[in-house]
Amino acid sequence: MNRNLFLKEIRRNAVSLAIWMTVITMLIVITLSFYRTFMENQSKIVGMLSLVPKGALQFKGISNFNDLLSELGFYAANNVIYMMVLGSIFSIVLSSNILLKEEYDKTAEYLLTRPITRSEIFISKLSVLSINIFLLNLVTALAGFISMELVAKGPFSIKAFLILTLYTLLLNILFGSIGLFMSTLMKRAKPITTFSIGLVLILYFIFTISKITEGAAKIGYLSPFRFASVDAVNPAYTIDLWHLAYFTGITLILTTLSYRIYKRKDIYT
Amino acid sequence: MNAPAIDIIDLSKFYGKARGIEHIDLEIGEGEIFGFIGPNGAGKSTTIRILMNMIFPSGGSARIMGMDVIRDTRKIKKQVGYVPSDANAYSSMKVREFLNYCIRFYETQDGDQRITELSDLFELDLNRQITDLSLGNRKKVSIVQSLLHRPKLLILDEPTTGLDPLMQSVFFELLRTENKKGMTIFLSSHILSEVQMICKRVAIIKGGKIIQLEDIDNLRKKQLKKVSVELGDHMSNGTLIIHGAENVIKGPGNLLSFMYSGNINDLIDILSGKQIINLIIEEPTLDEIFLHYYKN
Repeated sequence: MNRNLFLKEIRRNAVSLAIWMTVITMLIVITLSFYRTFMENQSKIVGMLSLVPKGALQFKGISNFNDLLSELGFYAANNVIYMMVLGSIFSIVLSSNILLKEEYDKTAEYLLTRPITRSEIFISKLSVLSINIFLLNLVTALAGFISMELVAKGPFSIKAFLILTLYTLLLNILFGSIGLFMSTLMKRAKPITTFSIGLVLILYFIFTISKITEGAAKIGYLSPFRFASVDAVNPAYTIDLWHLAYFTGITLILTTLSYRIYKRKDIYT
Repeated sequence: MNAPAIDIIDLSKFYGKARGIEHIDLEIGEGEIFGFIGPNGAGKSTTIRILMNMIFPSGGSARIMGMDVIRDTRKIKKQVGYVPSDANAYSSMKVREFLNYCIRFYETQDGDQRITELSDLFELDLNRQITDLSLGNRKKVSIVQSLLHRPKLLILDEPTTGLDPLMQSVFFELLRTENKKGMTIFLSSHILSEVQMICKRVAIIKGGKIIQLEDIDNLRKKQLKKVSVELGDHMSNGTLIIHGAENVIKGPGNLLSFMYSGNINDLIDILSGKQIINLIIEEPTLDEIFLHYYKN
């Protein structure tokens, strides 16, 4: 890894990371702050939610109204949108640009002509990407945990909370590797931000459709969201080793492929 | 004996079926100032990008100071400075920040001093944001970054674009000074006059192939000018015979345009006997030179 490049990239992404952290943290805190009001009016709200089409609730990660009555269920339902979807968008946008930006900004001509190998560039940028995703998850999870502690009426399962956090992190990292992989496939340098965001939303949409449409259950397997379980209120909620293997396997494969492609890629500016 | 500064052997690059460069052979000695000239799309930047390991060749090989440009790229780049044709540095950085970032890639002891020395020479404001700089000033930043680590080989891709004539002169003077200290210079350009001004040898590339490798003195002897003259006298066929004039085109009235190769004083002598309303002598474009010398 090259320290100079690493530090420059950390600085370059610091503002963006801070903004994403602030926005997601605020969303989590604000949403959890409604929990007590929700509980005080639970019969009215559950009544209202029963009028909402099941599909619309599934889209927000709510499969059972009763899940919402526990702090963890309430957090998980909102976490799906804020951390899993927004966090994945952050990861894929960052990862799809971290190498490619040097090409379409034409700064690659300054970077690649330094005494630094492609491997060092890749590893430095991958480290920055990983740290950014990790920090976003850490800060937002901490914000979620502290908020839960403040609003919870009793103890909640920390193990379930940690599993939910781990799934979120794994999902975000997976989207990070997808973005990185896509960027290395680009022959001509141009931003792929819109495409990347669209991909996350489409995959989330596929996952939701698969849950609400009985005949389309199998297409859910096309989406990584299918493997990040948010059923935190289930007493049997645990880390599925197959799902863990799915996330780590695909992430490792895509990252390794990205590395190999980048090492031999013609870089135009 | 030291290895050549640049040694290119049968180098080719294809972009799918499209030609980049084909079977290029080139050897540039240590301490040489070498010109690499050709029109846009001729393959100059492709060659340079292979040397700088930004793109990979389809065939052949290239070595810098005896080292393979792919395998030994890191070692090579410690000793090479590069000015890209596009002067797009990190726009969000200030000039000083960018130059500090560049110098930290090298093991230099006097980075700050070198930054100050070169930026003073090019009258560069270190506290300005790169995005706010004009093209000329961005080019100066690009030149300064290439020289910070005192490279043994300097590769320049269209380095004077955007530089005003005064700065061009400062730049060429600096190149001469650095060359005297032992720096090899590889100057890629489409401007023949600037290559003629500083280089000792020149390779002309067209259509991805090197079509001529010349000493600059030989090229000077063939010096070609594009001449347009408007005569006051009535002109008819045969009244004006100029040896060395080719591709003569008679324009409206008494306007005469032609390519002239030979001693410019002889041309002036011939024209001095005529009543001249307007006379323009200019550098021909590269395409015009190629058409003139290499049409066969």
